[in-house]
Amino acid sequence: MLVISCIKQVPDTTQVQIDPVTNTLIRDGIPFIVNPYDSHALEEGLRLKDRFGLRSVALSMGPPNAETTLRKACALGVDEAILLSDRCFGGADTLATSKVLAAAIERLAQQEELGIVFCGKQTIDGDTAQVGPGIASRLGLQQLTLVDRIEHLDPVKKVIRVRRKLEGRHEIVEAPLPVMITVVRELNRPRYPTVPMRLEAENIKVETWDNSVLELDTETVGLKGSPTWVSKIFSPEHDQGEIIGDGEGDPEGMANLLIDKLLSKDLLAI
Amino acid sequence: MKALLVAEYRDGQLLNSSYELVAFAQQLGAESAMFLVGSESALPQYDGTLYLADSEKYSEFNPAVHKQLLLDVIAKEQPAVVVFSHSSYGWDLAPRISLALDAAHVSEVVDIIDDVPVAPVCNSKLRREVKAKTGQTVVTLQAGAFGLNSDPVGSPTLESIDTDAAGQVTFDGYEEAEAGGADLSKAEVIVSAGRGIGKPENLEIIEGLAKSLKGEYGASRPVVDSEWADHSRQVGTTGQTVSPKLYVACGISGAIQHLAGMKKSEFVVAINTDKDAPIGEVADVLVVADLKQFVPALTEKVQAL
Repeated sequence: MLVISCIKQVPDTTQVQIDPVTNTLIRDGIPFIVNPYDSHALEEGLRLKDRFGLRSVALSMGPPNAETTLRKACALGVDEAILLSDRCFGGADTLATSKVLAAAIERLAQQEELGIVFCGKQTIDGDTAQVGPGIASRLGLQQLTLVDRIEHLDPVKKVIRVRRKLEGRHEIVEAPLPVMITVVRELNRPRYPTVPMRLEAENIKVETWDNSVLELDTETVGLKGSPTWVSKIFSPEHDQGEIIGDGEGDPEGMANLLIDKLLSKDLLAI
Repeated sequence: MKALLVAEYRDGQLLNSSYELVAFAQQLGAESAMFLVGSESALPQYDGTLYLADSEKYSEFNPAVHKQLLLDVIAKEQPAVVVFSHSSYGWDLAPRISLALDAAHVSEVVDIIDDVPVAPVCNSKLRREVKAKTGQTVVTLQAGAFGLNSDPVGSPTLESIDTDAAGQVTFDGYEEAEAGGADLSKAEVIVSAGRGIGKPENLEIIEGLAKSLKGEYGASRPVVDSEWADHSRQVGTTGQTVSPKLYVACGISGAIQHLAGMKKSEFVVAINTDKDAPIGEVADVLVVADLKQFVPALTEKVQAL
């Protein structure tokens, strides 16, 4: 049974600076990292490999240099890493991205039964949280978002029980496999590769699938296949944050506003 | 233009965030209808059609079923935009809808400029205007980004909705969130008191909020120097350096030594009567209010969650 972890190479947004003149991102010299949420998706795939003997695959769509990210996954112990890279995949929004990932997953699932697809709950560069659900919808997988614990997995009976992290509480749900799960940081603590693991990974081949493999209609992927486009990027006016109240507002109303804000930032469910 | 607003209901209550959807529609100048899996005993104050499914029957979250109920209403209303809160509910349901409709999807909208939704990008460091190529758009709204200027009024025209759809995911109960650690450096939430608390007795207010947030309370140097709080609670260069997920600075002006001790916090809320206090520079949210009134109100609301 397959467990697939979708990972994305992203610029380290904690180091991203904004050009004060052009108001755009300064990308030069910004290191690329695995999207932090995706590293938990990768770790969980590896844990299920260790515990249940599932075959773990890491999947990434990106430019050719995203191979570095997949090599890291290999160093950690995935059985197979596949890079989905083609010029026609470029400039994709989340819907077009999920199309390519779903096509690759479908192809893998033809060779071996699919159990679980793990995705990070969102990326730190796109912030949209739609790619995982997009994969689930396209492939008809059960969708379990915001998962912070796998309570139980039975690969034989093909059922999984997870805990979802909601506002101020958790929810326990059970679903039949195959499922798509988006994960939050609390799910696990990602492992680091040892030196021997890294050396061994040098010999693992990262396979690249371009569109001659996936054979998708080029009108439906990349920039052309994206229903949204970004017309403008700019800095928020106030870097100092949001202001609630003017010193005379009613405390209860302001408290409600603040609570909504904290809930949306996932800060009250700790 | 028509907007379909997906309101939310939890534990017998309509969520207040539902009114943010109304405010969004107003700002867009759109007509609207509302969708709710909720109860007739907790209706929104809203003038318009409310498509209501009974939460007793469909449970508060049953994704495949909610999706079908919503798609049926969308087919009838043909809205140009379907609006959700960017909550765990909207987070899960909105992409199911955009995929089903092949519609453009914009997450966590914070503003509208010339009818174009604006959303954060790059870990909220930047904003982007996102245009849609499709006739229908699905958006989720960042909490607190849109608000009504006045109290909501009106009573909805009810339309009951039902579906035969069944989901394969089974809900098996809730678990309340767990308590955080006890050590200040390991605490995930810290509520700190500054000179603005006025007198030592008011430290109780701060402790109360910290407790309700399952965190620890801290203090600024003046508070510790006045012996209103123990030194072990001091945050700053001469106290502890902390990096909680949430730091709430109450009545702290923000001396540079204090900022150095807490600026690694992931999210900072400052409560201060002075909107120009230096703490505002590191605060993600600055509440301009008298903490003696605001903090107890906040504590009560948090406890009620």
